[in-house]
Amino acid sequence: MANPPQSTVSDPASELAALLPFELLAELIALARTHGAEFAEVYGEHTVHAGFSLEENRLKRCERSILRGVGVRAVSGEQTGYAYADGFEPEDLREAARVAARIARAGAADGRPKSFKVVDAPAPFQLSEPAPAALDESRKIALLQRANDAARSHDPRVHEVSAALSDSTKQFVVANSDGLWAADRQYLARLTVVALALADGERQQGFAAGGGAVEASYFERDRSPETIAREAAETAVLLLAAREPEAGAYPVVVASGWGGVMVHECFGHSMEGDTIRKRTSIRATQRGQQVAARGVTIVDSGVVPFSRGSFRVDDEGTPAQRTVLVEDGLLVGYLWDLLNARLTGERPTGNGRRSSYRDYPLCRMTNTYIEAGPQAPEDLIASVKRGLYCKNLGGGSVNPADGNFSFQVTEAHQIENGKLTYPVRNATLTGNGNDAMLKIDAVASDLEIDGTTGSCGKDGQWKPVGVGQPTVRFTAITVGGTRT
Amino acid sequence: MSPFSAGVQPVAEAALEAVAAEAVERARAAGAEEAEAIVESTRSFTARALNRQVETLKQSVTHGLGLRVIVNGAVGFVSTNDFRSAALEDLTRRVVILARFATPDPANGLPAPEREDPPGDLRLFDPAVLELPPDRKIDMALTLERVALGYDPRIRRTEGAAVSSHDGAVALVNSHGLARTWSGTAVSAHVVALADDREGKQQTGYYGVSRRWLGELPPLEELAREAARRAVQRIGARPVPAARVPVVMHPDIGAAWLSDLHGAFSGAGVVKQASWLTDKLGQTIAAPSVTLVDDGRMPGGIATEPYDGEGIPTRRNVLIDRGRCAMFEFDAYYGRRMGTGSTGSAQRSYASVPGVGHNNLYLEPGTETPEAILARVDRGFYMDDQGSFGFNSVTGDYSYQAQGHWIERGEKAFPVEGVTVASNSLEMLRQVVAVGNDLRFEHAVACPTLLIAEMTVSGGVEG
Repeated sequence: MANPPQSTVSDPASELAALLPFELLAELIALARTHGAEFAEVYGEHTVHAGFSLEENRLKRCERSILRGVGVRAVSGEQTGYAYADGFEPEDLREAARVAARIARAGAADGRPKSFKVVDAPAPFQLSEPAPAALDESRKIALLQRANDAARSHDPRVHEVSAALSDSTKQFVVANSDGLWAADRQYLARLTVVALALADGERQQGFAAGGGAVEASYFERDRSPETIAREAAETAVLLLAAREPEAGAYPVVVASGWGGVMVHECFGHSMEGDTIRKRTSIRATQRGQQVAARGVTIVDSGVVPFSRGSFRVDDEGTPAQRTVLVEDGLLVGYLWDLLNARLTGERPTGNGRRSSYRDYPLCRMTNTYIEAGPQAPEDLIASVKRGLYCKNLGGGSVNPADGNFSFQVTEAHQIENGKLTYPVRNATLTGNGNDAMLKIDAVASDLEIDGTTGSCGKDGQWKPVGVGQPTVRFTAITVGGTRT
Repeated sequence: MSPFSAGVQPVAEAALEAVAAEAVERARAAGAEEAEAIVESTRSFTARALNRQVETLKQSVTHGLGLRVIVNGAVGFVSTNDFRSAALEDLTRRVVILARFATPDPANGLPAPEREDPPGDLRLFDPAVLELPPDRKIDMALTLERVALGYDPRIRRTEGAAVSSHDGAVALVNSHGLARTWSGTAVSAHVVALADDREGKQQTGYYGVSRRWLGELPPLEELAREAARRAVQRIGARPVPAARVPVVMHPDIGAAWLSDLHGAFSGAGVVKQASWLTDKLGQTIAAPSVTLVDDGRMPGGIATEPYDGEGIPTRRNVLIDRGRCAMFEFDAYYGRRMGTGSTGSAQRSYASVPGVGHNNLYLEPGTETPEAILARVDRGFYMDDQGSFGFNSVTGDYSYQAQGHWIERGEKAFPVEGVTVASNSLEMLRQVVAVGNDLRFEHAVACPTLLIAEMTVSGGVEG
């Protein structure tokens, strides 16, 4: 047992530790338990966001925003009370704690934790020069100009380019009535390019992104502005000549990397502990059962290096971990935050996350992906007589209760006799998550986890996530389109 | 005594205006040629019920400041919820530096206050929402869930019912002497019913509404029964083979399409030629029965505001007038770029710069009842739920995952899921063959029942 470290320059979130000293945290927790709540938690945050955007060859947006404050949660059985205060004025925080406390209506509790134990989890990766801190305004703007130039010079049909760089530095401290104390500092940066191509009355758009929890050097060594811009421009120009998809249900091969958004939506959401405890997910009763094809292993891991979905500790102070959800087709584990783990007798898996101190934590995915299989990716396409190769997906959504999902496919190619024959645009994939993972009949070896750009929304809260998979083939998926 | 304390005094607009005015002063002193500050303060309370008990109670008290400056014709923007003097001083210094990085643009500029007719009573603020006790909101959420659960034995659980109240005020001040303040309330209620289907499968039924006035919420029993009915009627849903058929759109589906369509009327897209309506101004783009309106001044409207995000009076903009593409919408910047001026369409929160958006967006109702529209369809699809992604904003291409009913001889024959519905918005607009008389303002976007002559329904039936 130890008290929180004293403020030092090297200590992550040291400023917050000074604003929320041990004594104040203990007092707030006790206040939040005044009416008998068995659990209480205080979460303090200071986040700085910076954003720049270059549109129409003009640097139009130069922005900075600051969000800081403290949220207090009190839990009584399955019931949660939550209130927050902007800023750190102790009297405002006490008021928030008093408000949260009233979820419980029993007698008073002796709620003050005896002491705090600092969560001492190792960082899954180290950043020596995190991009948000190491890149100054001029360097960020230079990246945008390079992206703009590269996209425009890629093809004369590229008519308009929007390039944006946004980053955030988030510090937080979390302490709870079990005596947990944790602090972290999380850096994210993202460079996005949208290219608009025009030709012969056709108009198409391409999108590409890079970033994550990355070093400043990422934009030179890993994904340069030129690489990102070229991908966006290539997609836009390719789609000008693309055809509409054939409507119907037929074999679909989904490319590695971002294609993993399918496993996130179709499967991952139904494995989140809140829906399991409340039995609103069909997966609640399927532990040990076959839920995916044999050979399919599905993992959620908060420790993938340099991904947006990774962290040292989650927003409840639980260390990030790698959790196997499906092993060789069998359901072996769920995702748990503190509340749902406690109510079901499970162990937290580091999936308690929240948008900011203005929201209570929910059970959320981190980086969710299908593990590599044995096959060569090109063999998956070569084996399809007539089908669709989905090279890039856009947004996707699922209703976890009924399983209905859909994805926008931003770039696809028709497969005919094992060969890619022409580009396809405006395809939408749909189906039911209950059986989607059972329809996988081949998994390639080219696993790629895309931790650059994903954001997942749940109950109005957005969180950065990573998704991934190798190239995967489905026996049949319903493809929406206008050609019958 | 109420378990949660709730303030029953409205937010003091004058205090917000003073903070905004001081921020503008500071920015001018720091070297900004023009400056604009927006200060917001909002409070909300949400009660969620699940399994016949309170699941969560959440109280929010939020405030924030956004500061936009123009230095040498270039824009910088900062936002914060830290109102301490030293923090504001630091941020003001930074915003002027940020603006120096941006590209000067003659179209940048903050609006001067316009002479205008007073907005009159827009019915934005209902004291009863402010005074609604937390215990009453808890009871309302519990009632919603209880009624949904009691509707049918196959409804054994819900995903929860929630009732929330909001009130807030905003002050907008700029260095041209513009100063606007206004306040509003809102109350929302929703429930998601779950119905047992075969093999452990469930069907969901969502229904929710938002109103500025408490007395305008529909009866909770009606709301809950409608959510439950939606879940139950989906039991046994199945895919259908691919076909090109007439599609009847439920008002929710029509409203989602209108939201998608609105992007094409945004001046930002038109100026960049990223809108599929770029060269269509003045042309006939839709059936004569189609009139699309964006009304910022509808009394009591959930998205009604007297002024837009730059302090310009809102108005009633007719975007499609009996089939003709009548106008696009602009904020001050894109209005100057087009030479047309702002249309009062700047939308923002304190934490963002203004962008083109809409207030109450709706399609003018027709005369036919929804039943009469259904009766016109011999064989087709009734679409009443959809996925979140399926619209291409630069082409207007439409391809959504859909749920609903198969129509045979003018009646709903059986429930359908696992299909997509696709077409292109320009074709759909021209193919609107019936507009219902059932326009109801339940959210910021509203649409009557629509009949589209032909769309492609893609089924999940193999072969």
